[in-house]
Amino acid sequence: MSLIIQFVINGLMLGMMYALVAVGFTIFFGVLDVIVFSHGDTVMLGGFSGLAMYMYLQHISPELAPGWVLLWVALTALVSMALLGMLLAKTMIMRLRAAPALNTLLATMMLGTVLRESIRLFFPNGSNPQPFPHLLPDWSLEYGQLSLRFDNLVLFCAGAAAVVLIHLLISRTRLGMAIRAVAQDSEAAQLMGVNFSLVVLTAFALGCGVAALSGIMNGIYYNEINFSMGLLLGAIGFSAAVIGGLGNIYGAILGGFIFAFLQTIGAVAMPFSSAYKDVFAFSVVIVLMAWKPTGLLAEKSSQRV
Amino acid sequence: MTTHLLECTGLSMRFGGLMALKALDIHVDSHEVVGLVGPNGSGKTTFFNVVTGIYHPCAGKVMFDGQDITGLSPQDVYRAGIARTFQRSRLCLDLTVFDNIMIGSHKRLDLSFMHNILHRKAFLASYREYEETAAALLRALNPDLPSKLHHAVSELNMIDRRRVELCRALIGKPKLLFLDEPSAGMTHEETQQLMDEIVGMETGEAKPAIVLIEHEMNVIRRITSRCVVLNFGEKLCEGSYDEVTADPLVQEAYLGTEVCEDEQL
Amino acid sequence: MLTAVGITVFVALFLMAEEQATILLYLGSGLLLLLGLKACGLLDVLLQAARNNERLWTRLMLCMSLALILLFHEDHYSLFLLGTIMTYSVAVLGLNVQLGYAGVINFSAASFFGVGGYTAALLMANLGVPSLLALPLGGLASALTGCILLLPVLRTSGHYAALVTMAFALLFRVFLEVCPWFGGPQGIPVEGLNVFGLSFMDDLNIGGMDFSFYAQYDLFALVLLCLTFGFIRRMERSWFGLSMDAVRGDEIASACFGVSITRWKITAFTLGNFIAGVAGAFYAMMLAYISPANFSFSDSLLFLSILLLGGIGNSWGVLVATTFVVALPEKFQVIQEYRYLIYSAIVLLMIIFRPAGLLPRRVRSYTGGMA
Repeated sequence: MSLIIQFVINGLMLGMMYALVAVGFTIFFGVLDVIVFSHGDTVMLGGFSGLAMYMYLQHISPELAPGWVLLWVALTALVSMALLGMLLAKTMIMRLRAAPALNTLLATMMLGTVLRESIRLFFPNGSNPQPFPHLLPDWSLEYGQLSLRFDNLVLFCAGAAAVVLIHLLISRTRLGMAIRAVAQDSEAAQLMGVNFSLVVLTAFALGCGVAALSGIMNGIYYNEINFSMGLLLGAIGFSAAVIGGLGNIYGAILGGFIFAFLQTIGAVAMPFSSAYKDVFAFSVVIVLMAWKPTGLLAEKSSQRV
Repeated sequence: MTTHLLECTGLSMRFGGLMALKALDIHVDSHEVVGLVGPNGSGKTTFFNVVTGIYHPCAGKVMFDGQDITGLSPQDVYRAGIARTFQRSRLCLDLTVFDNIMIGSHKRLDLSFMHNILHRKAFLASYREYEETAAALLRALNPDLPSKLHHAVSELNMIDRRRVELCRALIGKPKLLFLDEPSAGMTHEETQQLMDEIVGMETGEAKPAIVLIEHEMNVIRRITSRCVVLNFGEKLCEGSYDEVTADPLVQEAYLGTEVCEDEQL
Repeated sequence: MLTAVGITVFVALFLMAEEQATILLYLGSGLLLLLGLKACGLLDVLLQAARNNERLWTRLMLCMSLALILLFHEDHYSLFLLGTIMTYSVAVLGLNVQLGYAGVINFSAASFFGVGGYTAALLMANLGVPSLLALPLGGLASALTGCILLLPVLRTSGHYAALVTMAFALLFRVFLEVCPWFGGPQGIPVEGLNVFGLSFMDDLNIGGMDFSFYAQYDLFALVLLCLTFGFIRRMERSWFGLSMDAVRGDEIASACFGVSITRWKITAFTLGNFIAGVAGAFYAMMLAYISPANFSFSDSLLFLSILLLGGIGNSWGVLVATTFVVALPEKFQVIQEYRYLIYSAIVLLMIIFRPAGLLPRRVRSYTGGMA
């Protein structure tokens, strides 16, 4: 019984992390109709920039209270990734707007490789997994045979808070309305006075900031990060966003949890090798695409014939 | 009782909650030129799309040349003898003029492995024949075009592209030709030119029946023998151009109703 | 003709050069020469001449390849490099049929390459299938594996199609590593090619000259490449090629003119996979070993980037790009570590600034070249 609960908790944590990555994918698609495949590597970079800040803090003031450390680390990751996102949007994505969408997908895949290799080559000891600091207290709540780690709880709540914040931003603010307008019809939105560039930059900042958060969460949860974690995470995030319907933020969140759920089932059903869970999860994704070629919550699009 | 070439009875098409076509009864006879007119959104292109198999109607029947073609795939409809052009010129821009026209002749192409890969001499011989045919068709429309037979379509201007589209539709020797706003994107002079070419074209044995969607009323008046007016998916009326334009319902559809003086207050 | 000789001499010298400085010199001068030619318009003249006399050009290239093999007759490494270039070219030509002609997105090309290799390896090891037969059987296995993906591939397009094949590429690698039949992450050894009793694993001695055993592989690869290249060129210059391009160009319009979208997508996808499978089977034999490391998603991306770099839809572009991608990092030892980084950056810039590739695809000419 407790094993099942353990699996459930694990699944929820993974789901939250995937959901945050998927949200980024879906925001970028909504706003510009592009798939930014390097998003997984943005997560990785978020983790690494947080780590770099941690190492720097350790160096200059090792007695700093852990609360402050956590704050600084998270803030660095968020801000640096938001800035990176905006840079990316301005220099690359906007430039490729006129080209077929596949070009942006391929270009961002290449970018992802560039980011990955850069970390591997230029970060000290980059090719090995880097231990990530315990930024949250190590308590656990014991309940019979079950132990619930405090930091997991905090992480989950942080993720949930991020999701709620995004929801509020998108649905209650003027900026959110602008984002939704651009997502529906960018030309009409511009004609109505929406500042397209601002919306795009904000969307990218938002998506990448959330990715950074996911990166930090990843680091704290697994106590380590490594340069290659972005590739699989990107593929999973993309899958999750598609499952939930590209352009639909709530769908993306749902998709993230669905993917984690699939992985958990795979791990439970085929205990002889944990790697099979990925085989299972991706196979289901393929079957799902065969059944519903545009995702579970289908993308609203039509061609003029 | 003459059998019509194309006979649609009770044709209906729904998109979610929107009834795009409402129990349409339309017929076209051989060699006729019929104009299909109506305000934007009245279902003209949808009608084409349903008959050519791009959409499946939710009710009704389409009989073509004695065959029931309701709900057939676009490929089968083409093989039955209906060809069309598109409102938004759908040519493969990176392919040559010849390539695009050949697509229109697809049902006649020998698509066997032997012919294409192994019997190269035979293939080249049939290729030369097709080249001649395509050039002849083009020449009838614009004597300059055959020289651009092996240029990419992206190099051509709008009216030449329309001509290529027309050739693509005609090379398969269809019995019925659907023209969807062929003058879109062209000036008055170009439109006039193109329409003259369409009317004057000698396509050999049998001239196809034509259904023409157009917004330029001059064109409709000049070329068509009969008009069908659609509005909100329903057939409003049909008859000659003069009859149709005099019809009060048609006028209301295009121009709106007169508001009585006292109602304004 | 001069150009062909010039290119071969250049390539030969390049491959022979050991010193890093010399390599840099050759590369630099080669680049300068190219830029100079482009600036004074001579490059376009040369390219046009090559296009007009494609038959002659092809024969010349063939002779030059043979000359290269002769030149490096004892050098295992260079010959192996040559063989790799040719094998990868064949595989990417298959991908070109899928993506360049019919517009079928395939992010798992390396997986089908791997299916061919593993099939050949297992058939030869466990069932004693003769190696010559194992080649087409490897191709067949790839084609059949592709059929599993047919339904999702046919129903999806754009991003969604990318996702389907991406998912397959990811799960394939994992599947190879965990499934015990495939020898796990270490892989399995593969028998060498054996044509009618002549084992390709032994060194040769012809007319007093010693040949590395790789020379035989190279000759076989050359034959394979020529066959594939010729077949694909001819197919492109026929109604087959036209139909595939029509499917890629505009599905709805083509359907309205009788083109069966399904039939052509299936043909292109299956054919491409078959070609990749045969190439994979051959590669396994040449390598005498096969392991999952060569068939990951990154490798599929590599194949895709080769295609993009060379010019999507252009068969000659494939050859040029493969040579560039395979030979350059191997010779440039100093950048070995950085090759993925540099390479991805180059392709990235290429996509942004020159998406048509190094040799953009020309319009179809039914009568050119090997017709």
